[in-house]
Amino acid sequence: MQPLAELKPVVDEAIAPERPIIQVSGLDHVYPSRDGPVHALSDIALTVGEGRFVVIVGPSGCGKSSLLMMLAGLRHQTAGTILCSGRPITDPDPDRVGVVFQEANLFPWLTAIDNVAFPLALRGVSRAERAARANAMLELVGLGDAGGRYPHELSGGMKQRVSIARGLVQDPPVLLMDEPFAALDEQTRMAMGEELLRIWSATRKTVVFVTHSLTEAVYLADEVLVMSARPGRIVDRMEVELPRPRTYEMMAGAVFGRLRDRIWQQIKAPAR
Amino acid sequence: MRSSLPVLLGRALLIAAFLGAWEALPRLGVADPELLPPFSTVLGTLWGLLARPALRADLAITTVQLLVAVAVALPVGTLLGLLLSENPRLGAIFDPLVFFLFSIPKSIFLPMFILTMGIGFWQKVAFGVFSTVFIVLMSATAAVRAVRPDHVFVARAFGATRAQIAWRVYLPSMLPILLEGFRLAVIFGFTAVLLAEMYASRTGMGHQIASWGENFMMDRLFAGVLLLAIVAIVLNEAIRAVEVRCSHWRS
Amino acid sequence: MSLGAMSPGAVRTLIILGVLVLWEALPRLGLVPMLFLPPLTTTLVAGFSDWRVYGAALVVTLTEVAAALVFAVGGGILIGAFVGALAGPRRILLPVFSSFYAVPIVVLYPVFTAWFGIGSESKIAFAAIYGFFPTMLATAAGIQTIDPNLVLTARSMGATPVQRLLRVILPASIPTLLAGLRLGGALVIVGVVVAEMLISAAGIGYLVTSSRTVLDSPRVFAGVLLVLVIAMGFDMAMRVVERRCAAWGGGAPAQVPRRRPIARETGQANAA
Repeated sequence: MQPLAELKPVVDEAIAPERPIIQVSGLDHVYPSRDGPVHALSDIALTVGEGRFVVIVGPSGCGKSSLLMMLAGLRHQTAGTILCSGRPITDPDPDRVGVVFQEANLFPWLTAIDNVAFPLALRGVSRAERAARANAMLELVGLGDAGGRYPHELSGGMKQRVSIARGLVQDPPVLLMDEPFAALDEQTRMAMGEELLRIWSATRKTVVFVTHSLTEAVYLADEVLVMSARPGRIVDRMEVELPRPRTYEMMAGAVFGRLRDRIWQQIKAPAR
Repeated sequence: MRSSLPVLLGRALLIAAFLGAWEALPRLGVADPELLPPFSTVLGTLWGLLARPALRADLAITTVQLLVAVAVALPVGTLLGLLLSENPRLGAIFDPLVFFLFSIPKSIFLPMFILTMGIGFWQKVAFGVFSTVFIVLMSATAAVRAVRPDHVFVARAFGATRAQIAWRVYLPSMLPILLEGFRLAVIFGFTAVLLAEMYASRTGMGHQIASWGENFMMDRLFAGVLLLAIVAIVLNEAIRAVEVRCSHWRS
Repeated sequence: MSLGAMSPGAVRTLIILGVLVLWEALPRLGLVPMLFLPPLTTTLVAGFSDWRVYGAALVVTLTEVAAALVFAVGGGILIGAFVGALAGPRRILLPVFSSFYAVPIVVLYPVFTAWFGIGSESKIAFAAIYGFFPTMLATAAGIQTIDPNLVLTARSMGATPVQRLLRVILPASIPTLLAGLRLGGALVIVGVVVAEMLISAAGIGYLVTSSRTVLDSPRVFAGVLLVLVIAMGFDMAMRVVERRCAAWGGGAPAQVPRRRPIARETGQANAA
């Protein structure tokens, strides 16, 4: 039996639908290649509500990572608009979105804490404040005592935690995650998923999470968006009506299995 | 990797600009033609020199010294390299010493070779061997390391004999690196032989270049430099072409 | 204790001691003519008793080395970084330069003596050219090993181009720069000494050659030994610096480019 308090957010969501924080409409992306132009994304429209955990899942090469890079302002779409907090995203804006990449991409010459503080240093935040905020973030991801270590002294999972702390350190309302656990082994991956949900429930950020793992998608998400193979388009959208906190046992349940099957049907169909 | 047309064009333009500047600077009086004869003059001088039997003899001596040096260094270095990498005990003892010998500058030992061997043919060959044998040795060691144990396991699992493993796994894995060692040995051997000839010799291209320089015969000096540069580049590219052919399967 | 039971290090020490003993004994016992191999002690005595002469020569040589180093390493690193970082120049220039690398640069020295005379200028010019190409090629290769994801990550945090250069690209290239300095320095030292040996009127190389022409073997050996000590000393000092700066890199001294591993080692080691 779950304590009632932990179920409450779901109840809240059901009663009061959130304000939209990301709005994408008419998004198209075509890029030139050796074999002529490639139509990567086609007519993408999506809305992400504030505080939601949205997972985009799709086969390799469906353009889901490109879509995320565009949400981050790191790549420019051919057509269409992306609004975040009501204003268009054209360039990286760390005040509105933090990004966590597939590889942790930590700067090897900086310690864990300096890596987390790096975005603050870019904006000229004072040394004392930098240290305090970076420390708080490391505490949040459970690495409070590893701040002095260099990346090569951290395990894969720890590196990715540092990377998440870095994505959160400027307190952006939105966190974009591009297959952040894809390079980890299965056990670490499971543990990190659990850890991420804990961090998410502690911070109530809006998360857009890209993955090609069906299990990961259902386990993490409030809402799953399924993308088709190239040209990538959103072919399905489903609410995950599993209570939070999610548990390992849920994966064996009927709801979980049904949702995972539904995604699989969508993904495998166009491949035939 | 194949280069696209604009890249090749850019390269051709670069070389043309270099040669054009060489031609134009002395002609326009920007550089003293006494000190920098125009490219066309040098080319003419080179053509004249190549017709002379004496110069062809010098070129032949330099080439033979280089070839003999490499012919000695190649098997000796390869065998020693294989010995050190296949025998853990010898490797543990000698690897640091070999690496030390590999990394010290060789050319400063040239005067010692002259003290012991005079200034003849074999002194230059010996100096050439000394300058190249450690490169070959190191590349042989690297070549052995390039053989992946899992490839050997797979071959064994399919019942390959020792000879088959040597021929079908070891050789293809090692060949590209051995060839690169060979190429570097030729490059560094060429420099070594020329330096020895420039330092103290009565024959060879190095000797000619040094004496043209001392006598301010700039057109001949530049002709000699041009000739040796062409020889070096052609040798290098020829071996590299073989290397590329042998390594196309390596990622 | 038998030789087979000793540790490799002990056997190695024994071998080195054996070489030193032979160096002393062989000429003393008349097994090798003193002209070919002056005993170790005689060599050292010749060197130390003439310390004024060697000291003065050392000053000349080191001054030339310092001047050539500025051109060779400064130019090599600058142009190498430029060529390595930009795709266009890299594709056009790199193959041309690496072909040119095969040219025995030593044949240019007579040109420099004809142009600049037999004083320091010709040595500096020669050593600068001599050290330039390998340094440049190594830098170009090293710059390419910088992980582009680090730059992307910094961009996602809103780093300006200047911040990306100063805070990401520069620290990421420090191992490359140090390796370039070590390689270029070794070549410049050898270049200067070889040039002095060929034609000059001062410096250690000149001392060695003038001793050789009068068949004064101990002084030849002492001079060569001195050069060896300088070259090795420089190399060791640079390695210490590299190791210290690479503390964050897991102790790896430099990011060695994946292609042509031996070429680089050889370039740095087999100076001429």
